[in-house]
Amino acid sequence: MIVSWNWLKDYVNLDMPVDALTERLTLSGLNLEGVEKVGDDVAIDLEVTSNRPDCLGHIGVAREVSVLWKQKLSEPKARPVATGPAVSDLARVEVAAPELCSRYTARVIRGIKIGPSPQWLKNRLRTLGIAVINNVVDISNYVMMECGQPLHLFDLATLASQKIVVRQSQPGEMLTAINHQTYQLPAAACVIADGSRAVALGGVMGGADTEVTPDTQDVLIEAASFDPLAVRNLARGLRLHSPSSYRFERGVDPDRIDWASRRCAELILELAGGSLAEGAIDVGQPASERETIKLRFPQLPRILGIDVPAAEVQAILADLGCAESHVCDHCLKVVPPSWRADLTREIDLIEEVARVHGYDQIPEDASVKMVASTRSEEDRVLEQVRGVLGAAGFDEAMTLSAVDRNWVDTFRPWSDAAPLTVSTPVLRRAECLRQTLVPSLLEARRNNEKLFNSDIELFEIASVYLPRDGDLPDQCRMLAITSGGQFLDLKGVVETLVATVAPGANLTASEWEDPLFKSGRGCELRLGERLCGVLGEVSPWGLEQFELRSSTVVAELNLGVLVDHAVPIRRAVKLSSFPPVRRDLNIVVEEGVRWADIRRIVLAHGANVVESIEFQDDSYRDPDQLGQGKKSVLFSIGLRSASDTLTNERADAVRSEIVAALGQELGGQLRA
Amino acid sequence: MALAEFLASLDKLAEQAQTAFRSADSLPALEVVRVELLGAKAGLLRRVQQGLGAVDQADKPAAGKRFNEVKQLIEGALADAQNKLAHGGEDVGDGLDVTVPGRPLRVGHLHPITQTICEMKDIMGRLGFTAVEGPEIEDDWHNFEALNIPLSHPARDPLDNFYLAAAGARPAQGETAGENLPPLLLRSQTSTVQIRVMEAGVAEAAKGGGLPPPVRIISLGRVYRPDTADATHYPMFHQIEGLLVDREVTMADLKSVLRLFCQSYFGGEDEVHVRFRPSFFPFTEPSVEVDMNWRDAQGNSSWMEMGGAGMVDPNVLRAVGYDPEQVSGFAFGLGVERICMRQHGITDIRALYQNDIRFLAQF
Repeated sequence: MIVSWNWLKDYVNLDMPVDALTERLTLSGLNLEGVEKVGDDVAIDLEVTSNRPDCLGHIGVAREVSVLWKQKLSEPKARPVATGPAVSDLARVEVAAPELCSRYTARVIRGIKIGPSPQWLKNRLRTLGIAVINNVVDISNYVMMECGQPLHLFDLATLASQKIVVRQSQPGEMLTAINHQTYQLPAAACVIADGSRAVALGGVMGGADTEVTPDTQDVLIEAASFDPLAVRNLARGLRLHSPSSYRFERGVDPDRIDWASRRCAELILELAGGSLAEGAIDVGQPASERETIKLRFPQLPRILGIDVPAAEVQAILADLGCAESHVCDHCLKVVPPSWRADLTREIDLIEEVARVHGYDQIPEDASVKMVASTRSEEDRVLEQVRGVLGAAGFDEAMTLSAVDRNWVDTFRPWSDAAPLTVSTPVLRRAECLRQTLVPSLLEARRNNEKLFNSDIELFEIASVYLPRDGDLPDQCRMLAITSGGQFLDLKGVVETLVATVAPGANLTASEWEDPLFKSGRGCELRLGERLCGVLGEVSPWGLEQFELRSSTVVAELNLGVLVDHAVPIRRAVKLSSFPPVRRDLNIVVEEGVRWADIRRIVLAHGANVVESIEFQDDSYRDPDQLGQGKKSVLFSIGLRSASDTLTNERADAVRSEIVAALGQELGGQLRA
Repeated sequence: MALAEFLASLDKLAEQAQTAFRSADSLPALEVVRVELLGAKAGLLRRVQQGLGAVDQADKPAAGKRFNEVKQLIEGALADAQNKLAHGGEDVGDGLDVTVPGRPLRVGHLHPITQTICEMKDIMGRLGFTAVEGPEIEDDWHNFEALNIPLSHPARDPLDNFYLAAAGARPAQGETAGENLPPLLLRSQTSTVQIRVMEAGVAEAAKGGGLPPPVRIISLGRVYRPDTADATHYPMFHQIEGLLVDREVTMADLKSVLRLFCQSYFGGEDEVHVRFRPSFFPFTEPSVEVDMNWRDAQGNSSWMEMGGAGMVDPNVLRAVGYDPEQVSGFAFGLGVERICMRQHGITDIRALYQNDIRFLAQF
């Protein structure tokens, strides 16, 4: 809302500098957006929140000034003198859709002379940035900007049967508005019609056929109240927002409707001549009585934390236009003014008192009670996860929660359900709520490749959304990683991560085939029995899907499962003080034998002295040396006793037992 | 065997040997590795050498040359490792150039948004606020209705929200009531979590027959609004929302908590103040915008907008089952991106979501 400094002075004394005015208004609810000098006037742009339509006119802003500076507010009386016949002889109004238009008033002035507006009027509209048209149209805009009540003027001669009908739009109805655009009206919209056709979009814009022209002689002044929601829907539906719709959407002052009509008539008579018909047509309900609101004085300190003297509370509310009906030591009762539909409850009055009294009065050093806060298990785990990944050289990425539909089927480790979709894409093409983070990370990888970045090592922690019938989706927090390293490098990172968060947890991997992964290069990870993640080397097809140039290994872990296995408090165990012994083994087994089984057997036959087992290599295959279909597995074991020094003999005995067990269970042979 | 294959096996062995020698931490361990690699009978080098025989005749000279190079390289590396271990540690001799860079250690970087959020959680945690989270996909009740945003409120407009397309959302197939259920949406604010926490408190209290407990939480996370992406807008962003509901909670408490937060976050040596400007939010009354005095890099002081706040609207308290005559509360919401960008001098919000590792490496 742009207000003119000169104009405001019509209603209230402005003996403060502009800066002081805007500063005070900013701190009491009308936030300053900008100040601009226009001729000898100053245009002040104020942000008006949607609960304060009363400040969408100069009188409303002037009232704020009068309250803040304790000045008198003077409003024009708006008493036009009627000299014509009764208005009911000249025009008729019928409201067929009272749900869309609760009140409709009309006045008629005949014999006007259209011409240019006087300079003072032109200047004021120009300060506000409103186009100057002619005296009569300018007056209707002027009155709207004066009091916030939109008006519309019809050329009476163009209204068929000199009749106004407020009704719902009919199917397929069209209207050319005064902006000379033709609109097809949505169903059940509020239209103003004459005896034969639609002539205006109720509360939004008038029609071109019936607008005031340089030849107009008789005008009908419409001042009405249209349903806010209906106006909003119509304006949105047609993408036709006007100063009028803006005000009706927020609600107009029911007691200002007739005043605005009179004020408009008064100015027309003064500036364009003519003769005002006697009386006004007034269809619809008068405003309902406002309910009394009780304000208990102790509620002020209870909510605000400060005392406001009762006399000041009374004065503030009275200045704002509230009518006091009761006051005692404990409370007061007021009826709020017609222009403040937002005041209905005690808390609303408390806010009014607070903002006028000044929020700067509220201290910023209250002694707030001290309480203990707790940190969730999940937060602790996330910190550990981020710590490990940072140490492992991964940068944290953050990507959009929605993805391109084409990505959905590229990787589906967690759900086969159709993804949830958003009715408008969150960003270009991103309309499906993701069920895995991996595609988003691969895109981030591609973006980095395009920037010629090397060492693209990324992870992200974010939610995926797995649909559930009849409930909010299952929102699971995932960790996804993409690395330019090798399969076993990333697997090592994941294992380290799990060992850090959940030491002692049983993490197992098993083969898992997926089109995104190279065949034989993907695995499923489980913690105990529960699936906790997948890891694999991206297949050529997968690289192609994401236009990646170089190979990558990816992993995705369900952090919920990891959190369930987390060990928040670690317990110390007694450490052996005896020296360790190390033994290296080279076992030849069938190629199909898996390390997991070797490890299990070694640990099972470790006689409580195998402290560690370290895999070294299993890549050597040579039919001549090892036999067809065999491989040699190199590993070492660390042995240590808790109770005494382990002798070489005992170490060898344990080793022999292990070798024997491997032979028996897996057919493994110690390589000579 | 193709030459390329043979050379590849040589390269692999060279790399393996250097790594293995370097990581051997004692002379006996080094000896194990030596036997493994250079053992006369079964060493890996010997095995690779056997591959030489299979290389095409024409390629033999090249293969042999390379084999000798690698062999020398490995033997050299072994000697170095032996030398190093024998002399207890780092490279020795008189020739160490201390200006040569150390071996680089690659360390990852946390996203600046994560760092901002962690810092905020940390500060609010010290002020007694426990961090909670809630679903990003919300229903009408939690995102609007319980927050005193009735059906007619413009905040519900489809153009201002990401509603989910009906298919696949809910209800389950076969349910008939579904037609009338308002659609789910991506939450437009983290205030939804307030409602969930208070509801849980009321439900818990109902079981025990007592009064609902005080609430002192912050909720953090992603929120979504249909803004066209530009330097200052992105359709997805993060919010931190604080809520304190208890007996005798006042606006002075709100102002004080926010000042302490700003002081901790930005203050340093400077004394930080906050100010309130009246505003309007459906879920708070009174509602205010919060500014803090901010000193920029040039030392100029100005008010910086932090976010919105206010006293929890009695309608909201009632909607979740708290009695506004018994308790009062405050709530505030701050934009994480704005604070993060201000703090780090980031001028385009989109940079936060492009994941250029050069950008990420700065934080």
